[in-house]
Amino acid sequence: MEAGLLVQMLLGALLGLSVYLPLRCGQLSLATPGFFAIGGTVAALLSTRVPALAGSGSTYPIASVLLEMVLAALLTGVLALVLGRMVLRLRGIYLAIATIALVEILRVVTLNLEFTGGAVGIFGIPQPFQSAEGYGAFTLVLLALVCWMCDRLEKTRPGRAMAAIRDDELAAASQGINTADTKLLAFVLSALVAGITGVVAAHFLNSWNAKLGNFDASITTLAFVVLGGSRTWLGPVFGGLLLTALPELLRPVGDLRLIVFGAVILVGPLIFPQGLITLERLQALWRRRPPWLALPSNRGRR
Amino acid sequence: MTLLTVRDLGVRFGGLQALRGVDLAVQEGEIFGLLGPNGAGKTTLFNVISGLTPANTGSVHWQERAIAGLSSHRIARLGIARTFQNLRLFHSLSCLENVLVGMHQHARQPPLAALLQRPSFQRREDQLQQQALELLALFGLEAAAQQRAASLSYGDRRRLEMARALASQPQLLLLDEPAAGMNPAEKEELRALIKRLTQQFQLTVLIIEHHVPLMLGLCDRLAVLNFGQRIALGTPEQVRRDPAVIEAYLGGNP
Repeated sequence: MEAGLLVQMLLGALLGLSVYLPLRCGQLSLATPGFFAIGGTVAALLSTRVPALAGSGSTYPIASVLLEMVLAALLTGVLALVLGRMVLRLRGIYLAIATIALVEILRVVTLNLEFTGGAVGIFGIPQPFQSAEGYGAFTLVLLALVCWMCDRLEKTRPGRAMAAIRDDELAAASQGINTADTKLLAFVLSALVAGITGVVAAHFLNSWNAKLGNFDASITTLAFVVLGGSRTWLGPVFGGLLLTALPELLRPVGDLRLIVFGAVILVGPLIFPQGLITLERLQALWRRRPPWLALPSNRGRR
Repeated sequence: MTLLTVRDLGVRFGGLQALRGVDLAVQEGEIFGLLGPNGAGKTTLFNVISGLTPANTGSVHWQERAIAGLSSHRIARLGIARTFQNLRLFHSLSCLENVLVGMHQHARQPPLAALLQRPSFQRREDQLQQQALELLALFGLEAAAQQRAASLSYGDRRRLEMARALASQPQLLLLDEPAAGMNPAEKEELRALIKRLTQQFQLTVLIIEHHVPLMLGLCDRLAVLNFGQRIALGTPEQVRRDPAVIEAYLGGNP
């Protein structure tokens, strides 16, 4: 497998996690591609228009990429904070529709603004890495960090509150959980992950245009979570990796690949309504692990 | 001391006056019962007190403080916990996690310590888990700690909901038909349990229940609602003899 595809798979996993975070809270938000596009546009603009960031070497400095990530995170975070307050009052499918509208508004604005390059977009985004392997390592570290954050979240108080809201929002509020703030936290974290991923994607793709954050992307990223599962962070990671790789791996089948891809997205949830990765399935796998996988015994639960 | 005061409370749903001019005062440490036929407005009163339903007229005071109009999570944090008539557990979570969610307001930890899994964080988390297990044990649910709430029997779900409500260390516990669907032996067990809990946790209890013998044996005072109005208030003995109650609820002559 070529390294370029691997980078795309890792980016897919990150976007899957971005959709997963509000969904864990029971909120179906499709805003991920919107925040992804903002992150990408921020990176494209800064790296092509601000000479000070380019440094003196032949490659674009990684410190500049990190700075772009911080700025993209700030911008998407603040935007998610303001928008989230408004749209998170909506429930279920209404929230989904509102977030689709957000993605569309952003797309049309980017398409028509002079400084974002209009329909053509922005070209010649400088490269911080010479090879796809460099991008792979960088994205892998980023993915590991986000996974770690999600894992900690699931095992602590805000994560428990999110699961409670997903199961029964009214009962959660009766336990003293500030449901509005908890949902907002999930929405903002989702926007941050998408924004930061956009920065990496812009450099990796070398060019950026409005098409990268459209309605199709909303549905594709949602499919990552639907197929992978939304009960643990492993689900969207797995779904993102698999569904990004699948069209490429199916290339030998020719035009049939789109049909096969569609069939996988359709049949997956029919056979596995909870997604491929569930806690029960993970526990069953762990019980049946081969003996060489036995770890030193866990600290006993008192 | 008066914990909860309800004055002239009125709630209207469209053309239906669910509550009309209801007055109540719940004293600290008592078990206060709410009786009344179906549709009398008992659950609506609970919903107003816990912030789920807004009142149209009147006021609710918690120890001198007006609480009508506060959101339900704020009211819960003041020390008012409740159970639901039609059971609202977190089905996909384990029994232990359900109780841990109940502890929400006492489980706050510095985010950085939680993220980095510092020893101080882990110690506190172990401590919370220990407390949750003790609560489960109190309701005979310790063996089911790791089971999903959805897999429990009906009676166990009712008990788990009470354990979850107690986890927030409330001063006032609102119980909405805790004995519904239980057999006579379980009802008797429940009566003893509620008595024991009020002493052990210095609880005040406001309870809705249809089973009259249980209520007469359990409550210090009772109020009777009918068509949204309070038609009687007093000790079980007084209420049992009240002609208005006999007509509206018990039916016929005793």
